[in-house]
Amino acid sequence: MKRVLHALPLAAGAIALCLGTLAHSGELQSPTAVLQDLLEKTNSLYLGQSEQNLMMMDDNPSLWTVEDGEELFHTARGPNNISLEECDFGKGPGVLKGAYIELPRYFADTKKVMDLETRLVHCMTTLQGFSSDDPEVKQRHGSDSDMMKLQTYIAAQSNGMPWDPQLDHPMAKAMLDAGEALFFRRAGTLDFSCNTCHGDTDKRIRASVLPNVNSPEEWSKAISWPAFRVGHQHTRSSQHRLRGCYWQMRQPGVIAGSEASIALLAYWTDRARGAPAILPDMKR
Amino acid sequence: MLSRKRASFLTRSIAFAAVVGLANVAHAEETEQALDYTAMTPEALAEHLLFETNSFRLDQPVQEGGVARQRLEQDEIQRACSNIDGAAPDLETLIKVREMAEKSIVYPDKIELGDWERGREYAWSGFGFRIGHNNDDHTTREAGGNCYNCHQIGADRQGGNLGPALFNYGKNRGNSPEMLRLAYGIIYNAHAFFPCTDMPRIGYKEVLNQQQIADVLAYLFDPESPVNQE
Repeated sequence: MKRVLHALPLAAGAIALCLGTLAHSGELQSPTAVLQDLLEKTNSLYLGQSEQNLMMMDDNPSLWTVEDGEELFHTARGPNNISLEECDFGKGPGVLKGAYIELPRYFADTKKVMDLETRLVHCMTTLQGFSSDDPEVKQRHGSDSDMMKLQTYIAAQSNGMPWDPQLDHPMAKAMLDAGEALFFRRAGTLDFSCNTCHGDTDKRIRASVLPNVNSPEEWSKAISWPAFRVGHQHTRSSQHRLRGCYWQMRQPGVIAGSEASIALLAYWTDRARGAPAILPDMKR
Repeated sequence: MLSRKRASFLTRSIAFAAVVGLANVAHAEETEQALDYTAMTPEALAEHLLFETNSFRLDQPVQEGGVARQRLEQDEIQRACSNIDGAAPDLETLIKVREMAEKSIVYPDKIELGDWERGREYAWSGFGFRIGHNNDDHTTREAGGNCYNCHQIGADRQGGNLGPALFNYGKNRGNSPEMLRLAYGIIYNAHAFFPCTDMPRIGYKEVLNQQQIADVLAYLFDPESPVNQE
């Protein structure tokens, strides 16, 4: 016993050293720890609004979605009977670590700026040979959809890393700037723009505290999708969030993977630049 | 403002010319290839993305009649109040917005308080006018005013804080005809008093009709209303 006690500080030291190195590479921190760090930095009402979610985050049901996705990703599927390991998400075929926080980005093979969902659809249709009408591709929502399983697994490989959407190609910059114009563009029955609800800190719709686009710490959590939405009991995507916002704004339904949706995602990801991603997150 | 307007007109014309030039190209993908996004202004590209790239369900019928496309087409006030970062436009534009808004208000001959209980229903209801994956069916339920999403109104229900709190609205102001007229105007088109405000134009956009606004006024002004019982 005495011997163990003596050894403890040394072991703890070694572990701490180990943790330090790993945390630096963004590997060992849990999504909960990433959020806790942001909370300590900002004391934001938005980040801390659900104590219950914070308590439950280590048992986030989306962690199961990650595991489902891992299996799917590495399984040979589709008419071509091939896995997604050859899919290039921007950092080379099969490289997932840190790929998501660099999206949306320009892809030379399609000559398009693509977000995670669009790129995934691209690989499933071109590489695996699925048709866009196959349920594997068509079903976009719900924890039990292939799309959400795969997205959540891929995104989780960027947990804790700072958002860094790639703007090296002029098309990416053009889409981002158009996304900014869209973000502030008022229209519809109620004259809303995205900025109506997301331009200030500590604003609420009824009891829900809204994230401020001008605070990278708040905005990082806001755009950390996939996330488990407790109210829906499902893992949800960025595209699902965007669709909900347009619905609430009383503006036309935005189509997932459309160019306008990607322009908006390019802008919103850019506004969280440098703040660490929480993947998967848990939201109200 | 003039230069901004001019620039925006120019870019729109360029985008328009480009689109017209390509009108006989059958596939959208080919159109995208031919159109150089990097040569367009952000505003012109945004307009192109909204209307020409199959990004929205533009052809869906909407509750007020017509199709969804019209919801994305900006009127003058929406355009004037869409500056990047939510910045207020210059004074000249603000004055113009205020004047346009003032002219738009249709006042009843006499403004009378309606039924505060019905008014509370309208103030609390967030139903109505939503379109896309799930359309609000106005034949099953009246559209509400969405007031409590942004305003704390009475103490009987938690409201938002995007707009000011309205506790004791009537108690603090009295029920003079001038005060009722002012409140009616603010609900109808608040830009007449606060140009480029975030508040929706509830009357102008026919979210609520005259009688419904009178009911909401009762909720705000009636001494019996819980709003005035704090």
